[in-house]
Amino acid sequence: MPQISSKTSKPVLRALFSALWLAFLALPILVFRVNSISGIIEYQWSRLPKLLAAGFLASLLWNYFQKRHLLKQESPKAGSSSAGPPITWADRFLARTDRYRWLSLLGFGLMVLPFFCSPYAVKILTTALIYITLGLGLNIVVGVSGLLHLGYAAFFAVGAYVYGLLNYYFGWGFWVCLPLGTLSAALAGLLLGLPVIRLTGDYLAIVTLGFGEIVRLLLTNSSLTMGPRGIGNIPPPGFFGLDLNEKFRPFLVEHLALNPYMDLNKIWIYLIILLIVVLTTIAALRLENSRLGRAWLALREDETACQSVGISPSQAKLTALTLGSSFAGLAGVVFAAQITFIAPSSFSFMDSIYILTIVVLGGMGSISGVIAGAAVISCLPEFLREAEEYRFLIFGALMVLMMVYRPQGLIRSVRSVCSRS
Amino acid sequence: MKPLLAVNGVKTFYGNIEALKGISLTAGSGEIIALLGANGAGKTTALKTIVGLTPPGEGQIIYAGGDITGKRPEDLIRKGLVLVPEGRHIFPALTVSENLMMGAFHRADKNEIASDLEYVFKLFPKLKERLNQSGGTLSGGEQQMLAISRGLMGRPKLLLLDEPSLGLAPIIIGQIFETIREINVSQKTTMILVEQNAKLALTVAGRAYIMTAGRVAMSGAAEELQNDENIRRAYLGG
Repeated sequence: MPQISSKTSKPVLRALFSALWLAFLALPILVFRVNSISGIIEYQWSRLPKLLAAGFLASLLWNYFQKRHLLKQESPKAGSSSAGPPITWADRFLARTDRYRWLSLLGFGLMVLPFFCSPYAVKILTTALIYITLGLGLNIVVGVSGLLHLGYAAFFAVGAYVYGLLNYYFGWGFWVCLPLGTLSAALAGLLLGLPVIRLTGDYLAIVTLGFGEIVRLLLTNSSLTMGPRGIGNIPPPGFFGLDLNEKFRPFLVEHLALNPYMDLNKIWIYLIILLIVVLTTIAALRLENSRLGRAWLALREDETACQSVGISPSQAKLTALTLGSSFAGLAGVVFAAQITFIAPSSFSFMDSIYILTIVVLGGMGSISGVIAGAAVISCLPEFLREAEEYRFLIFGALMVLMMVYRPQGLIRSVRSVCSRS
Repeated sequence: MKPLLAVNGVKTFYGNIEALKGISLTAGSGEIIALLGANGAGKTTALKTIVGLTPPGEGQIIYAGGDITGKRPEDLIRKGLVLVPEGRHIFPALTVSENLMMGAFHRADKNEIASDLEYVFKLFPKLKERLNQSGGTLSGGEQQMLAISRGLMGRPKLLLLDEPSLGLAPIIIGQIFETIREINVSQKTTMILVEQNAKLALTVAGRAYIMTAGRVAMSGAAEELQNDENIRRAYLGG
């Protein structure tokens, strides 16, 4: 029947087109390789079919799930009225929206993933997760509450230095410093919030920029923080006082044939930040629909309107800055544990901008967007590494294209859909 | 009978500038008061001072038997003192229903909120049609309706309306003023109405205050003011 054939061929064609488009876009990154030592360009055409196949499959899958989602929306609970065997808990679990099943599967996948990756990949993944936490925190301030914040890295630094310093001077461990770092960053956010209560827009941006620089300069010039030399030898988080590599690596290598050079401490940090990302995502989702979230939204929309419905803009601002900063503190402590050495140069203005890019590129106010943005932004430079010195040029060009053709970000927030339709 | 609101000798400053040079006015329960005057006379400042947005430098404001001088707006809204700001100021990216629920932000009485919502839809059936549309896509008249409705969702005892006719077509203005009168009659809501369009304001208001340069120049029953030839020429534009 012609009808059916057209129905099946359409997604296939579309997938083919997407695959070609992806291959074209990724050509300079994945196929051309500049060998800067011998000064020649190598072409890795063998990668092209793999790329095409991957793009084709991904597009087909995406289409399939979207269609399923649509079908489900069209016929909700179609068979629920018909009499049948009693519903057991297993049925209920299976009937539970696909979303939960896929999410738990994804979570499990992400948990076992680092055991099969190279240490280098684990490092990139951990960094990506840290950036997701940072993005979610800044999203509260910039995306949801509409306060342009250009000094967010300062709060990241507070978290990292709380761990670094308390460990250096008092030998305190990761688990004590994690809540302390979070709290300190929140306090720093409150401290910044107090003078800027009355500021909005550009003025606020400038003050936050100044605050970020003050923190960086303090860290650079204070002898307490060891100045620009930074703090080294920051220990990994403890695991009930056991040495992970000594106790567990031989077992894993022997019985599961895993990579004998893997660093279980790094994997442990990865698992911790993974849990933190899950928790902060849940927190961000809950906050979005809470009273506080609505107050932030009102603040972003219109300050006068905010006041006329009885929301105090200054309170909304303070809570947004405090809570947003606490996310950065959390990420900071984990960051310090991950790279074991922290210096003021890791928390510069560029880093603030980097995090801001995640929020803007991902989609302001959209939680899934911020997660996607963080993943893309933190992994992209690694993929672009082969393009050597051109990578920031390509990075910048991609950013410009993105802002011109998709200003709502990778995944636009639900709210901006209504506002612009 | 004691008035619901009494403003006694209130002075308000913006920095060194004295915007209100000692005004006094009262609003009795169930009254509609019009606040008239030229641009810059201090009408909007008077409203902002009453709801606590610009706390007075001097003087006293008594509301429902209590001194509310210097209280914050978010506390006053709980007591039923609601301002519908000039220029509508709805939340443009939020839907109509979200905008309305924002008006009830400080309330927790779910059933009452639902019945207030029904009431608002009865007043402005158009809003019900546009429930899931974002506020920014509404026409000017609809936005004004939404702004007033959002104010009503706060269960006001005293509703302050700042220039509800601003920038609207005459036919829409007529509808809105008709509804304002209806709210006053059915809910016994006391209102203070700031308007440029003095003629129209005097048709719904019982009494009016005429302000010039931060002072109350004149006050009286709406009819009297309307019929006085001199006042009409001097303050009300013919």
